[in-house]
Amino acid sequence: MIRHFRELYQYRGLLLSLVQRELKARYRGSVLGFFWTFLNPTLHMLVYWLLFGVISKNRVENYPFFMFVGLLPWMWFSTSVNGGASAISDRRDLMTKVRFPAQVLPATVVTTNLCNFVFSLPLLLVMGIIFGVWPTWHIVAFPLVVLTQLCFTLAVVYVVSALNVTFRDLQHIITNLMMMWFFITPVLYQSSSIPEKYRLVMSLANPMAILMTSYQAMFYEHRLPDAVPLLGLLVASGVLLWGASQLFESRREEFAESI
Amino acid sequence: MSIIHDSQDAIVIQDVVKSFRKKTIRGEYTTFKSELVRWLRGQRQPKQKQFIEALRGINLRIPKGKTMAILGRNGSGKSTLLKLITGIYSPTTGKIDVHGRISALLDLGAGFHPDFSGRENILINGIILGMSRTEVKAKMDDIIAFSELGEFIDEPVRTYSSGMYMRLAFSVATHVDPDILIIDEILAVGDEHFSKKSLAKMLEFKRQGKTIVLVTHDLGTVERWCDMAAWIDGGRIRRVGTPAEIAQEYRQAVAIAEANSTIFTPPALAEGDAGRLPEVPAAVQAPAVPAPPAAPEPVVLSSVQLVDGTGAEPRSLSPEQAVEVRIDYTAREGTEGAELELSIEAADGRPLYVTSTRTDAVALPARLPEQGRVRFLIERLGLLGGEYVLSVQARVPGASFTGPKAQCRFAVVSEREDHGLFRPAHKWVVEEAPAEQRLPELARVSAS
Repeated sequence: MIRHFRELYQYRGLLLSLVQRELKARYRGSVLGFFWTFLNPTLHMLVYWLLFGVISKNRVENYPFFMFVGLLPWMWFSTSVNGGASAISDRRDLMTKVRFPAQVLPATVVTTNLCNFVFSLPLLLVMGIIFGVWPTWHIVAFPLVVLTQLCFTLAVVYVVSALNVTFRDLQHIITNLMMMWFFITPVLYQSSSIPEKYRLVMSLANPMAILMTSYQAMFYEHRLPDAVPLLGLLVASGVLLWGASQLFESRREEFAESI
Repeated sequence: MSIIHDSQDAIVIQDVVKSFRKKTIRGEYTTFKSELVRWLRGQRQPKQKQFIEALRGINLRIPKGKTMAILGRNGSGKSTLLKLITGIYSPTTGKIDVHGRISALLDLGAGFHPDFSGRENILINGIILGMSRTEVKAKMDDIIAFSELGEFIDEPVRTYSSGMYMRLAFSVATHVDPDILIIDEILAVGDEHFSKKSLAKMLEFKRQGKTIVLVTHDLGTVERWCDMAAWIDGGRIRRVGTPAEIAQEYRQAVAIAEANSTIFTPPALAEGDAGRLPEVPAAVQAPAVPAPPAAPEPVVLSSVQLVDGTGAEPRSLSPEQAVEVRIDYTAREGTEGAELELSIEAADGRPLYVTSTRTDAVALPARLPEQGRVRFLIERLGLLGGEYVLSVQARVPGASFTGPKAQCRFAVVSEREDHGLFRPAHKWVVEEAPAEQRLPELARVSAS
């Protein structure tokens, strides 16, 4: 694992350039350019607001803002996993023709989406102000939550990108699984609205639920995230990342041959 | 790969075997669906877990500062070997030691993004090839200048012609400053002018004492630019030696294979030694030019040249063409009674026609001038498509001197599918009813 991340560090120049290029590529050739960062989550939010706020009359206060708090980090996670699945299997040109540290590719996907997430934070702030919700000092815990999510996302993306080389239909299955995962995660609803019986399981067994409730705690409920689940998840993500990088390393020899 | 300094060899390959799973080669991917179907049918184990050996035990040392050519037919394992040296593949068994920074030009333009300008792509491609950001930025102007793209450098790469694309990619690749350069048949990039530049760049690498490993099918390149050559056949090293030796033997083996019309099987897919090129008969393997005798020779053939009717040196000849052999010689003062022997051989060394000035009763000057030229005119070549060797030898029976064979290779390209040894001047006459009875008569006469 140390070698794995040392190599990643050695190639940080490459990682940086690839991320830069991905970001540029996303906004190049479109009229709205950078505003896509804002437009995409806003459109998502509008759809869900129409569905859950207007039609089924959700009684959460400042519902659009509430959804936004969860949607932005969720989109970071889901686009990373969806895009990360094919990060290696789609880059035949790099994997078979150049000696190339494969871990840079999934890392690029995660980092690019992290950047998009960070760029969309001003929108969250603006939305809050519109709804009269001002950020409080509780956001000091924000970097810790982001770090936890980064470790967890990277671990998941390593696993799916490595497996997708052998099982090519994984990327399609992943899309569906992510949809399911989205609905069992309290993004559009508060975890308090989950029936008592399942609440504990649903909010502690699901790492994304811990993360989402942490974001909601900071931005929406103006309190610090629950320390025990969050720190527990941070440790677990670290372990998971270790395991994922081991798996990734063990499959890596095969990448060039199987692609 | 370990890094040991102060070694004489840049690359040491020991007993390297590389096998691939058969299904990988067929290009079938496992999917969850296929696994599920298999499981439902009750097949626990995948049917075939066969392996294919692309390399069957390679031992090769590439000394520092040398240019090594790797020859072999398609599918003989050349590219696999390069990928192993580069580190894209890892050997199944065996060991590869590489001493020095390696840069591989296996494919040009790795990671190019069509929507980005040439300049932006240089940055990414350079980093992918192993340069640091600052290094690429420092060399940016050189790279752009070398690519000769001018103003196009700021246009998106998708607007480039394929030649421009290759030029840009090649420029980046050659500006990586490696100790070992690995090249897979990409020297012929762009037009004449750019090819020359590329070759010049390669020579510069050579002068700087860098190690170059080159895979190519162009035997001319091998003979001209390389210090050593290795011939891979059927996943094994068949021979390592000087480029001239290897190129000659390779040509002959290919010609024999063609003559025997051996069906080509990619060696990786063949069992055992099938798919290898045939052995060249030992007699042919003898070096073309024996060691020169100590005494000054009475006659030295300074050049043997095959030219077509217009006097130009043709790339390939057609069977119906008129050709001329120009033999330039220098003679020691007072050489008397010299003869020239000329033979046309098939590529495998079989003589097809041998004649000499004595046989044809052509008188050379009794006392040879110090320098002179003898021309041998063939009105109509009459050979079939294939590779041939023309060799000329000088003899002075009085001084019991036999000079070395001066050889000249040529290829004949035929549009027709006739075969055999030679093409006599002929035509067909088609008639409705036999006009005369002369033809059968003629046959009877010749038969009796």
